[in-house]
Amino acid sequence: MTVPLVETVSLVKEYASGGGTVHAIAGVSLAIARGEFVAIMGASGSGKSTFMNMIGCLDVPSSGDVRIDGTATSAMDSDALAELRNGKIGFVFQQFNLLPRTTALDNVAVPLIYAGVGRAERQERARAKLGAMGLGDRLDHSPAKLSGGQQQRVAIARALVTEPLILLADEPTGALDSQTSEDIMQLFQSLNDAGNTIVLVTHEREVADHASRRIMFRDGKVIEDTPVTSRRLVKP
Amino acid sequence: MKPAFRKAASRAAFNLGIALTALRVNLMRSILTTLGVSIGVFAVVLAVAVGSGAQVSVMGAINSLGSNMAIVFPVPDDEGGGSVAERGRLTMRDAVAIERHIEGVTAIAPQLRANVQIVSGGRNAATEAIGVTPGYAQVTNAVAETGRFISEADVRAAARTIVLGRTVVTKLFGDYDPIGETVRVNKVPFTVVGILEAKGSNLGEDNDDLALVPISAARQRFTTDLPLGPDDLRILFVGIEDGVSLGKVKREISRLLRDRYRVRDGEGSPFIIRTTEEFMEETAMVTGIFQAVLVAIASISLLVGGIGIMNIMLVSVTERTREIGLRMALGAKRSDIRNQFLVEAAVLCMIGGAIGLLLAIAAAAVFQAQADFPVPIGVGTAIGAILFSAVVGLLFGGWPAIRASRLSPIEALRTE
Repeated sequence: MTVPLVETVSLVKEYASGGGTVHAIAGVSLAIARGEFVAIMGASGSGKSTFMNMIGCLDVPSSGDVRIDGTATSAMDSDALAELRNGKIGFVFQQFNLLPRTTALDNVAVPLIYAGVGRAERQERARAKLGAMGLGDRLDHSPAKLSGGQQQRVAIARALVTEPLILLADEPTGALDSQTSEDIMQLFQSLNDAGNTIVLVTHEREVADHASRRIMFRDGKVIEDTPVTSRRLVKP
Repeated sequence: MKPAFRKAASRAAFNLGIALTALRVNLMRSILTTLGVSIGVFAVVLAVAVGSGAQVSVMGAINSLGSNMAIVFPVPDDEGGGSVAERGRLTMRDAVAIERHIEGVTAIAPQLRANVQIVSGGRNAATEAIGVTPGYAQVTNAVAETGRFISEADVRAAARTIVLGRTVVTKLFGDYDPIGETVRVNKVPFTVVGILEAKGSNLGEDNDDLALVPISAARQRFTTDLPLGPDDLRILFVGIEDGVSLGKVKREISRLLRDRYRVRDGEGSPFIIRTTEEFMEETAMVTGIFQAVLVAIASISLLVGGIGIMNIMLVSVTERTREIGLRMALGAKRSDIRNQFLVEAAVLCMIGGAIGLLLAIAAAAVFQAQADFPVPIGVGTAIGAILFSAVVGLLFGGWPAIRASRLSPIEALRTE
């Protein structure tokens, strides 16, 4: 049996809130295999984003464990977690989170700096990824000169530039119009077709329908975990 | 290049790039913050320079006395009591004994001193008249620029001859060459036989405001505060060979005088003996303290500048919390974030330091031209100022940088 790419074991996240304790995640155990395209859904406050942040090792669980590629993360220190995020996880955010006044090329190269890659190779790899996103002619543009869809493509290129095991996208189309959203989802789909494992958080059914598996969160628990039967495939 | 080194260099260059971008983006804020450090470094550099200038100036004053020498004089009345002063009258015989018996002595310059009024024609000059022997020229490096020095014959005959310092000549005669003229010193006529080569001034002390007469003539003609015996001296300069230990000569002179005056062990000596070396050391200490006090006061402004840096770095960290979160998500370690802000603070301070240094160099040049007082800013001071600025940056940027690096990635990312 192959080791799941991401596995959570009795994952709990609690916050102290006004004298009581809020269970943002109340014991979630699930596994995501290589090559899956998972959509995590739920209302706001359902725990879907908290769950995403924990499998992305941005947040630490109150108890339980997150295993990435078979490795437990609960005992790791902040440096080890940083290395793990750098090498194995790619993030895409709703607000793109590109560095302002920094060219698309330099934005994409940032994770490679933290990976200790030399300048020439950084430039080359960033250029290649931007080219693959169809932005080969926008290398020297700063984010302010790019459209929302283009900015999100730069962000996806940045997430993929270290060749991570898994791509985590938190509401990646939340700041985009519907046509651009479709384009971005098409991009995710083709990335998945090419073998990338993708986990996507969304509250929109149409977006989630692009995925191959849907996990519903409510009150910090998984209430539904099903394959997407009527998968919405965008025609290229 | 080793890979580890290349990696570190690459990150350093990267951090520098981030720092410069951040500083450029908030240009006005950066300039104002830098100003605080500039003023601080300006003050500290000037304080160091003025302190060094004072040292140079005082050392110059000591050097103008002559080269290596010991100065011997009786303990003043108010310090040793009348009886000691009586017993401790320094005489010509003591001077001769010192010259004869102590090794390394090149010449002696026994002196009497009196404040006098010199009159010529309608003009007059108040100055110090020093009764000397020819040895004075040798010990103090005094040279007659025109005419001649006081001679052995002058001393033997108690001749009324006088050698004038440049300042006195200017007061009495202007540009006119006074050799052969008669001047009245405290109403006694003296013939001008020579003019001393100018030595300039140190710390406002004019080294050319004096007149030399034969010691024998001074004894006969001038009244002094203490009644003088026929052999008494007020002060004795002892010239000492280069390379001879001044401390050793001082001890030997002390022993000789104690023997001559039968001072018992444990009893205070009736004479004070000082060497140029001691003057140098004391001066170095005093000017060192002076300099330290100046620098300490100036450092307060640098401290204020540093606090300004800390303040602006805290603002910078707060403003860029989201960016910090993003960088952490992309794989930045705590040390990467910390170094990024440290480099930013250090660069800010070094730019401020460089500006302060340039201002200080300009101010020193103006000061030196106006005040005739050396204000040296050495290469060491300059490099030190820049490095010190960087240290100020690291020190005051340290806390904000560490604070930034301790942020939780997810909380930083969630910040709006």
